[in-house]
Amino acid sequence: MPNAIKGAFASFFNVPKHIAPLAVLRVAFGGIMLVSIVRFILKGWVSAYYIIPRFHFTFYGFDWVRPLSPTGMYTLFAVMIAAAILVTIGLFYRVAILTFFLCFTYVELIDKTTYLNHYYFISVMAFLMIWVPAHRYFSVDVLRKPLLQVTKVPGWCINIFKLQLVLVYFFAGISKLNYDWLIAAMPLRIWLPGKSDLPVIGGLLNQVWVAYLFSWFGALFDLLIGFLLLYRTTRRPAYALVIVFHLATAWLFKIGMFPYIMIFVTIIFFSENTHLRIINYLRRVLPKSRLSPPKSYHIPAVKVNFIAVILLLFFAIQLLLPFRYLLYPGKLYWTEEGYRFSWRVMLMEKRGTIFFHVKNPANGRQSEIINSRYLTPFQETMMATQPDMILQYAHFLASEYQKMGINNPIVTAESYVTLNGSGSMLYIDSTVNLATEQETFGHKKWILPFHNTQK
Amino acid sequence: MRKFIYTALVAMAAFVLIQSCKKSGDGNTGDNSSGFDRKAMLTNISANIIIPAYTAFQADAVSLDAAVTAFVASPDADKLTTVQTAFKTTYQQWQATSVFEFGPAGQVSLRVNTNTYPTDVNQINANISSNTYNPTLLANLSAKGLPAMDYLLFGTGANNTAILAQYTTDSKAGNRKTYLAALAAELKSNASTVLSGWGSYQNTFVNAAGTDVGSSTGQLVNQLVYDYEILKNYEVGIPAGVQSMGNTFPTYVQAYYSKMSLQLAKLHLQAMQNIYLGKSGQTNGLGLDDYLVQTTKLPNTAKYANGSSVNDAITTQFATATSKLQTLTDPLADNISSNPGAVTAAYAELQKLTVLLKTDMTSSLSILITYGDNDGD
Repeated sequence: MPNAIKGAFASFFNVPKHIAPLAVLRVAFGGIMLVSIVRFILKGWVSAYYIIPRFHFTFYGFDWVRPLSPTGMYTLFAVMIAAAILVTIGLFYRVAILTFFLCFTYVELIDKTTYLNHYYFISVMAFLMIWVPAHRYFSVDVLRKPLLQVTKVPGWCINIFKLQLVLVYFFAGISKLNYDWLIAAMPLRIWLPGKSDLPVIGGLLNQVWVAYLFSWFGALFDLLIGFLLLYRTTRRPAYALVIVFHLATAWLFKIGMFPYIMIFVTIIFFSENTHLRIINYLRRVLPKSRLSPPKSYHIPAVKVNFIAVILLLFFAIQLLLPFRYLLYPGKLYWTEEGYRFSWRVMLMEKRGTIFFHVKNPANGRQSEIINSRYLTPFQETMMATQPDMILQYAHFLASEYQKMGINNPIVTAESYVTLNGSGSMLYIDSTVNLATEQETFGHKKWILPFHNTQK
Repeated sequence: MRKFIYTALVAMAAFVLIQSCKKSGDGNTGDNSSGFDRKAMLTNISANIIIPAYTAFQADAVSLDAAVTAFVASPDADKLTTVQTAFKTTYQQWQATSVFEFGPAGQVSLRVNTNTYPTDVNQINANISSNTYNPTLLANLSAKGLPAMDYLLFGTGANNTAILAQYTTDSKAGNRKTYLAALAAELKSNASTVLSGWGSYQNTFVNAAGTDVGSSTGQLVNQLVYDYEILKNYEVGIPAGVQSMGNTFPTYVQAYYSKMSLQLAKLHLQAMQNIYLGKSGQTNGLGLDDYLVQTTKLPNTAKYANGSSVNDAITTQFATATSKLQTLTDPLADNISSNPGAVTAAYAELQKLTVLLKTDMTSSLSILITYGDNDGD
């Protein structure tokens, strides 16, 4: 058995593969990133998310991450545009992809209000792309230095992306295997009727059975699609499904670039012949480049070992992270302890309204906080249903009132949350002084338990 | 196994496609048996609530402007009373008009131009002294509209004799009359612009029948919640000191000088309840309540511990909040000073309705409360 594993490992890592899929991935990823970043800027989000807010919800352990000045933020986005272009055309590739990864991840770390699985996915993909020679074929770098060109790369250079994509879909599928999604058809049962004005299928979306069909189909799709893409016989229809599925979600839900990103990057699953055809097609519209003789990509053993360790660590984390929620008591959707970074997509219709009160312990007088004085509406909305953000904001309020001369202000939160159609109920123990509660990886005891009254 | 899975997937995909096509083949027979007719709700609310509200508000603003014109031409006690009465009518009607800050009203920012308070007496007096008034100046937002007229017509003297003197014998009487007339004219002009805008916008409104951010239901619900928070915070909470360590600000109430703050708050709440119910006069048409009943009638949807539905909870809370307001008295400013506990108790009930409208209603209807724009996942 160990030998079999060893064998599988060896084939995953070492069997030489044509570099074409990697080159296509580089073009596809770089291109879609370029569109994403430009779209982000044009939507005014640089300002709305990173310049206007006076308070930012940083990630635990990343409190030191701060936004730059307005000029700095726009410069950073300009750098990302340049990096995305360089990645696409394959010029100064390693520097470009590293720059892109660092800039993008930095921006994501500024404020968890904007956390989306697909932003996390972009960081993950960009990270993986740092380690592979995606510029050594069909690139400007090769035009500059023809000696760089190779035609074969070790299997891992391509397989890590397939593995990552399989993990994303599979975990997304596993997260749908629960009562709410399968038995109650929640939240689609709430969301779909809201779209009943769409042409053609609008009327159907009011039907309960359609919510069930979509739920079950969605779960099956996520669970299986990664594997169906892996096998040659099922690949073509599977990719057709990928297109149909993601375009349908793009049409029904407001999920931005995510569907298009997935449609583009899953091309990696196709064979080298398909990718060579794509490249030949692209070559027709691009200046001719010399074809050099077949050559394999060689890297020193030390370097290979280093990359192997990094990738093993990386995928170990990828495999374990989505299961960390098991270490926490209570209903995951309610507490959201261990929710992020686990490919849980579109699972909850969750909303809340929260009122903070700051009390002066010296005289017992208290104030309700006008959240809009400190937070943007988007930040307030996201904070209202996420305990770690509630705590961060409470600490911020405590420090604000401390500055105003109130010693050890008592900060409490009266918060009502509804989850997947439950009536709203008290979310946070409104008697607990959040100012003295600390953020840890441990369970937050002041989250009140979820009582589902409907079953 | 692989073949089976593949076949199953293709079969399901085909099924979905066939179902979709079947629907389109049916044409527009509109099988809404299990759906809610949002268009009919929008038709009812626009034709029977919104447009009548703007029509009445515009008529009131025209009458007010005419009364002001007559008053400034030759000020006397009778004409002052006439202006004051016309003003009160206009302010009362505004309570049923303020919610609809989208479409034509959104374009002219009707809400802040009409009703930004507390009004800035210093700014008003500075404008009068310099005899200049620039309606587009940001600083003048709190020196115009109904709150500024509230001050000019009721707050410039201890009684009507003293107030009249400000328009007759006072050294700035001429400038003051000019200013009052300018404010009345601006109010009339805005009201007329919005009313005429609805002539063509009604069709747009009824046909944007989705639930997205830009849809009519989305805008209506967002503005209902937003305006409700104005009622809760600015008409009651802030003056009662709930956001200022218990330090009260009685003069911050709406209509402080004409002393009808509570009356207006009750009218405002009633107007919002009517929008929720789709009610005009004695006719209860399609409203958000019917929509909620429709979306939550299925099993497994929004129930409370006592088994009541979202609609029950909201209806009950409207009644509770109203009855709490009824225990208070005008002038609300005096009530806040003499019995702040009663006012904060009313505020607490108003707060509960915020949660129901902002969280439960919007969640059940799948409408985003967002004054911005962002992707989800």
